[in-house]
Amino acid sequence: MVSTSPERKGAAITLDDVHLSLPSEAGEVHILRGISMAVETGQSVGIVGPSGSGKSTMMAVMTGLDKATSGRVHVAGEDITDLDEDSLALFRRAHVGIVLQAFRLIPTMTALENVAVPLELAGRKDAFDVAEAELKAVGLGHRLTHYPAQLSGGEQQRVALARAIAPEPGILFADEPTGNLDTTTGAQVIDIMFKLHSERGMTLVLITHDLSLAARCDSVIEMRDGLKVDAAFDAIAAQ
Amino acid sequence: MSPHKATWGDISRFALREMRGGLAGFRVFIACLALGVAAIAAVGGVTQGILEQLSAKGQEILGGDVDIRLNQRVASDEEFTYLLQNSEQIARVMRLRAMARAESNQKRTLVELKAVEDAYPLYGTLELSSTEPRPQLFEKRGDIWGAVIEPTLMTQLGVDIGDVLAVGDTRYEIRATITVEPDKSNEGFQLGPTLMVPHSSMEETGLVRLGSLIRHHYRLRLGSEVDVDAWLEDLNARFPDAGWRIRDRSNGAPGIRRFIDQMGMFLTLVGLTALTVGGVGVGNAVRGYLDQRTETIATFKVLGADGSTVFRIYVLQIAIIAAAAIVLGLALGTLAPLFVSQALKDVLPVAPEFKIYPVQLGLAAVYGLLITAVFSLWPLAKARDIPAARLFRQLVAPDKSWPAQRFVIATGLAIAGIVGLAIGLAEDKTLAAGFVAAAIGAFALLRGAAVLIAWGAKRLPRVRSPLARIAVANLHRPGAATAAVVLSLGLGLTLFAALAAIEHNMSAEVRQRIPDEAPAFFFVDIQPFELEEFIETVASVEGTGEFRSVPSLRGPVMAVNGVPADEIDADPNEAWVLRGDRGLTYSASVPQGNRVVAGDWWPEDYAGAPLISLEEEAARGIGAKVGDTITLGVLGNEITAKIANLRALDWSTFGFNFVIVFAPGTLENAPHTHMATVKAKGDVEQAVFDAVTAKYSGVSVIRMKEVLTSVSDVLSQISSAVRVTAVVTILAGVLVLAGAMAAGRRARVYDSVILKVLGATRSNVLAAYLIEYALLGLVTGIIALALGTLAAWFVITTVFEGAWVTPFTTMGLTITGAILVTVGFGLVLTWRVLGVKAGRVLATV
Repeated sequence: MVSTSPERKGAAITLDDVHLSLPSEAGEVHILRGISMAVETGQSVGIVGPSGSGKSTMMAVMTGLDKATSGRVHVAGEDITDLDEDSLALFRRAHVGIVLQAFRLIPTMTALENVAVPLELAGRKDAFDVAEAELKAVGLGHRLTHYPAQLSGGEQQRVALARAIAPEPGILFADEPTGNLDTTTGAQVIDIMFKLHSERGMTLVLITHDLSLAARCDSVIEMRDGLKVDAAFDAIAAQ
Repeated sequence: MSPHKATWGDISRFALREMRGGLAGFRVFIACLALGVAAIAAVGGVTQGILEQLSAKGQEILGGDVDIRLNQRVASDEEFTYLLQNSEQIARVMRLRAMARAESNQKRTLVELKAVEDAYPLYGTLELSSTEPRPQLFEKRGDIWGAVIEPTLMTQLGVDIGDVLAVGDTRYEIRATITVEPDKSNEGFQLGPTLMVPHSSMEETGLVRLGSLIRHHYRLRLGSEVDVDAWLEDLNARFPDAGWRIRDRSNGAPGIRRFIDQMGMFLTLVGLTALTVGGVGVGNAVRGYLDQRTETIATFKVLGADGSTVFRIYVLQIAIIAAAAIVLGLALGTLAPLFVSQALKDVLPVAPEFKIYPVQLGLAAVYGLLITAVFSLWPLAKARDIPAARLFRQLVAPDKSWPAQRFVIATGLAIAGIVGLAIGLAEDKTLAAGFVAAAIGAFALLRGAAVLIAWGAKRLPRVRSPLARIAVANLHRPGAATAAVVLSLGLGLTLFAALAAIEHNMSAEVRQRIPDEAPAFFFVDIQPFELEEFIETVASVEGTGEFRSVPSLRGPVMAVNGVPADEIDADPNEAWVLRGDRGLTYSASVPQGNRVVAGDWWPEDYAGAPLISLEEEAARGIGAKVGDTITLGVLGNEITAKIANLRALDWSTFGFNFVIVFAPGTLENAPHTHMATVKAKGDVEQAVFDAVTAKYSGVSVIRMKEVLTSVSDVLSQISSAVRVTAVVTILAGVLVLAGAMAAGRRARVYDSVILKVLGATRSNVLAAYLIEYALLGLVTGIIALALGTLAAWFVITTVFEGAWVTPFTTMGLTITGAILVTVGFGLVLTWRVLGVKAGRVLATV
């Protein structure tokens, strides 16, 4: 269930009037223009909207990849608004798994090594055992020693998924996870993702163009011009 | 629980995985670093090798454990008895310059006459072409003594074994040639080939007269258990006023040692320049590598790696590669003595031993590490700050921020480390500091010039020709090679232009100016009684002029104001005044070409207490002023004279320039000879030579031409060594250039494909690139030329105080070289770019 009231108790994510602007040579670009929302723990939320509506940026703010220009961001019980880059890295290591459209595997590492990276960063002695188990869980037990270049797109995205969930994060973010895949392969990846979500009780934030995909989530948020759609309507009405 | 901090174990695992991707991007990095480190290690190893050999062969080079030299007099009976009683063995050697005449064809030439006893050499072996025992080779047969000669003398006189040479009043039969003369490198600058004769024959030559410029050496074997320092202390205590010059086995050839030290220092600085140029390549390679890794770095951050973890992962990789490059460089540098001793065996006094020189290798490695740090810390620190958000969004505004302060400070410290080492370890700190300042200045100016070129190209009004437009645009577009080319090639060419211009000026001095202005002959050892007649003889040859003669003695400075010479803290540039013997003369009037700058010249009829006039620079260097006293050793006597005045000399007149001139009344009665100079037109030189040598067998005739040939030979040997090292700098520059151009290849492939799609022919594309490279080469050449010429002009006019000649050929060559190198590389690269099929590229972009 998505709530519009910020800082709700038990919420996995809370955004409170979050703005984000970036400098450019042509002047400031306003990407997020005042977003408030909360995502309940264990829920799945689909975020939809056209290109440039601010979906990815909102996810970046939630995961600490980007910093809000103003407003407050609480994730997994932590106020991450003012954390520095290194603290945000540690926060992600502890609480967040991320799957991106372009897979973003490290080309010089095998599938197994790629999945082990976050576990190794966390100092886990069993990094490779866990990584292997996770790769098996996404159906890639036979591809452990393959390099990204030797894997198909669907396989690469499954490695990315295994890597994101291996440290058992409380929240899994997926930004257009099927964007670079054909329909069938994409559907397979999504099936695995929802299966893991329900099995492990993770909160899932799924950014997608695909409305049918978003419909599989517990709730859906629509974005337009850096605002949530209901807020966007209010802004248009006010004009 | 505090979050896990990645251990070095974790870091090394990540780093090694990263490096599996291959080191293709690091080829230039490795080559640049290895080349620079090899150059420094080679110079260090060869220098140290020579110095060690000079020490190891100290006894051989010196000819004994101790060498005692007396000028113009033999040891007194008391002195000789003491030496005899306090040593295991003694070998007397007499050295002087003399004229040798071949009886077969009457040819004459100046020789270095070396009279030796049977005990010579006490150490090492005199190797001769004949296996006959030495006593037989030297023995007197009839009225002819035996002699051995350097092979060059045979060619000079057109004689062979068995021919007879007349020297002074006696005759010598050539019985063998000298293959190895063990103490040769201790003899200093020689004006003629060695003619070695038995010591006992010297009396008969008639050349051994009081006041003649003869060096009497007493070489002693002391035995290995004798403490040489204590022995010398006893000797000096026993004969404090002997006025002899003593060298011991630990300091066999101080002149060579100083020369090797200075050459080593200078070549190390040149090598350091090469390493710095290579540093630009290192920096480019690191930046390029990290640019390629931006996404991986961002991915690491997305997965929870902090900045420090990322920084360490990449620092470790760079460190591993740098270490490999340095080891490669050290290995190459270690081999250098092997090649150098082969290639330069005729030039070097001793061959450097092929072995590991740990201190020199260590120093080269430290320089390599510091240069790596200087050029890679910055991009590494920037990589550390790559935000995770880079994964899904390129920065909207270009990132021009500085890395964290501590990295800027670390880079500064590494630069300070290099500068500190370069200056701190140099013998001549002023020269080293000047060189380093000039290099840093040139670096900054070239960097500025690169920025200016890009800036100017950006603001140039639009050119009509699309080809020229593309060429100009390529100079300033993001990722353009402009900065790398101007900096790397520019620095090498600047150094090259400066060295070439200095060399050009020095050789112009030796080959043109000196022969035009200097006298044709120097005559040495003219006896006072024959002076008048001698002048007549020379003047009788038509075409001679400006005959000048001065009385001449030699003697060392023993003390200044009573302070012994070896305790005076003299300016290193003027310390030579206190080393060895100085030429002495006396004069009633101010010598020609001199100017009194302090104090007063004495009256022409002065006849009081000893007074001297001192050259002003020398006076400043040894801390003496008008009114002070200087004690000189003259033929075994000490003379303390008051400084009456200081003179400024013009060294470039090539006349007689004496640092020390006595007032009349002190030296006239000391046995001495005269020196004379005369100018003679080219065609009468031989007539003068014949007239003098036929009549005065005791007068040594030194031809300026021959001296200049020897000087010119030495100069060209030095300049070859310098040029080889400078070429390493250019090579490093070319490597950087190649790396920079290869890095821009992808962009060029894309450009050329788009141009082709739009209808450009291959020759259109080629022309555009050629214009770009030619422009870049031309501008770099001009800047390098300006900077190099400026540096050379400064060195020639202020350090050497010479006249400046503008080296047009060098200038032309530098510019042409710059253009050829850039265009050449550009061509090779463009050729490969043009060969790429458009369809294939378009399918992948």
